[in-house]
Amino acid sequence: MGNICVIGPRASGKTTYLAALAYKRMTIGKSKQFNIIPLNDDSREIAEKAENIICQGESFEPTRVESVDTLPDYSFKIAVKKFPRIKEESFQLVFKDYPGEVFEKIAESDAGDAIQEEFIEECFRKDVEGCLILFSDWIKGTDNHYNRIINRFLELMDSHDRAKDLRLAVAMSKCERGELWSGRLDPETDLFNRHLPMTTATLREKVTPKNIRFYAISTFGVLRRNDPRPNRIDEQGKSGQASVLREIPRWQPYNIIAPLYWLNKG
Amino acid sequence: MGVIYIGDRETGKTSLAMELANPNSHYVKVTHPDYENLKVMLYDDAEGRTKATDASQALYDRALEIQVELPTGKKEILLEWLDTPGEIWRTRWQQADENQPEWQKFLGSIVDSEGILLVVPPYREIISGANREDYITQQQWCNRFERWVKFFRQDCPKVRHLVLCLNKADLFCDVNKEASRLEYSPNRSPMTWQKRNAYVMQRYFRPIQTQIEHLNKNISGLAIRCFITSIHNRKLLELPWIYLGSFLAD
Ligand SMILES: Nc1nc2c(ncn2[C@@H]2O[C@H](COP(=O)(O)OP(=O)(O)OP(=O)(O)O)[C@@H](O)[C@H]2O)c(=O)[nH]1
Ligand SMILES: Nc1nc2c(ncn2[C@@H]2O[C@H](COP(=O)(O)OP(=O)(O)OP(=O)(O)O)[C@@H](O)[C@H]2O)c(=O)[nH]1
Ligand SMILES: [Mg+2]
Ligand SMILES: [Mg+2]
Repeated sequence: MGNICVIGPRASGKTTYLAALAYKRMTIGKSKQFNIIPLNDDSREIAEKAENIICQGESFEPTRVESVDTLPDYSFKIAVKKFPRIKEESFQLVFKDYPGEVFEKIAESDAGDAIQEEFIEECFRKDVEGCLILFSDWIKGTDNHYNRIINRFLELMDSHDRAKDLRLAVAMSKCERGELWSGRLDPETDLFNRHLPMTTATLREKVTPKNIRFYAISTFGVLRRNDPRPNRIDEQGKSGQASVLREIPRWQPYNIIAPLYWLNKG
Repeated sequence: MGVIYIGDRETGKTSLAMELANPNSHYVKVTHPDYENLKVMLYDDAEGRTKATDASQALYDRALEIQVELPTGKKEILLEWLDTPGEIWRTRWQQADENQPEWQKFLGSIVDSEGILLVVPPYREIISGANREDYITQQQWCNRFERWVKFFRQDCPKVRHLVLCLNKADLFCDVNKEASRLEYSPNRSPMTWQKRNAYVMQRYFRPIQTQIEHLNKNISGLAIRCFITSIHNRKLLELPWIYLGSFLAD
């Protein structure tokens, strides 16, 4: 059973991503390659939320900062069948969905915040296999901001003795956006290097190469294989930070399993 | 967890909450308190209308149990329902020293609320027929909203759901027609929440659209949604609660 922490700045799409995994009937169900089985109440509950909120054209609220104990654990079994006639592989994952607010705060100097501490301890526990880090923004100034956070994060990782054995899957989320979609095939070069050069350089320099990979994902996806219009509508006044699905029956996430497979199997 | 009704005097806060408990319901059912009991408390039979909420207290706190039928099934929600008198927004009330403790109490509750329902009246220009003169002009309405924006930015930096109810829809539109256009059904609603909001915003909240967008930008994590409501149309009355219910149900 692998424990995975899903982290990243506010509104980068973490909770929505987990909901899409849980609600696989709508999202991955169409694919014969994967099957996802929610294993506990928390994961069944978030699947219901996907149906009541995302599939009704609404979007999730920011995840609350309470205590680590009240954070839900989403547990799934993921089965992957790469080729017909080949035996399927399956693995179980337990996810913790961190509030972006906490992640963004780790770069602030006023340490000693109890909740902050708790989250950091939880994130670097020995039984955590890897972190899925979602980024979604690159407007002016964000690279700098993220770079500071990541620097601090890597320091903490080191001081918790996880520098050598914690895998980091770093993903650019919401990649259905026109400016990103074409960069999805080589995300390290065309998305990360290009839009978040400092953050990317820090990650490359400080993390053992075998423990880091870059991904492009989109929980909402595009309308059709041959119609790459984004399947989303942006909320007015939220500068692209908040969006909802545009055509619900066409919901088909892009590449959301690959980082998990790698985190688990390497 | 609480949902708080705020708005100026006579906008219909008490009526909206009381009528929600009316047993003739579709997808939102108040299981407690009972409609008849509420009526005894809040309604003046002789006048044939709700009593004005008394401003000697800034907050009336009642437990509310509702059942909302969401796409995945019925959900029970336990809530605090906080009614407030419109009087507290008047300068005269706010300036009186003896009201300060009540005002502070009110501010404390509003920051803790899960959702804020701001009930606003229709403005003179959209009202068709009866006593238009009783209602403020569009310009006054916009100015008043600007003050709401200031209030939310200053005193509610953590609010997540701000539900704007343009009430008394029966005075300015064909409520049956609008209700069927915006209709919710757990299985197949003709519109998504995004489409409903876009429609209502475009059609009825146009004069304050930029102010709404501005507020949206300024409070991160806030969702502002626009509704038209009327105590004379059950479907419209329930919509804000189905919306809130999708988030509050746990
Ligand atoms: N365009 C687009 N928007 C998305 C996608 N996934 C999520 N969103 C939207 O991004 C916003 C934030 O999503 P959340 O899942 O709440 O983000 P989060 O990272 O959990 O945020 P916090 O809990 O505050 O840390 C919501 O409006 C989502 O609907 C996506 O794939 N594409
Ligand atoms: N036509 C019409 N009248 C309404 C509607 N809702 C409320 N009213 C009337 O508006 C008046 C004021 O309603 P209340 O519910 O007492 O208003 P309030 O906002 O609680 O007022 P205060 O307690 O004084 O702040 C009453 O006469 C109601 O019958 C509506 O949807 N349509
Ligand atoms: Mg979240
Ligand atoms: Mg009242």
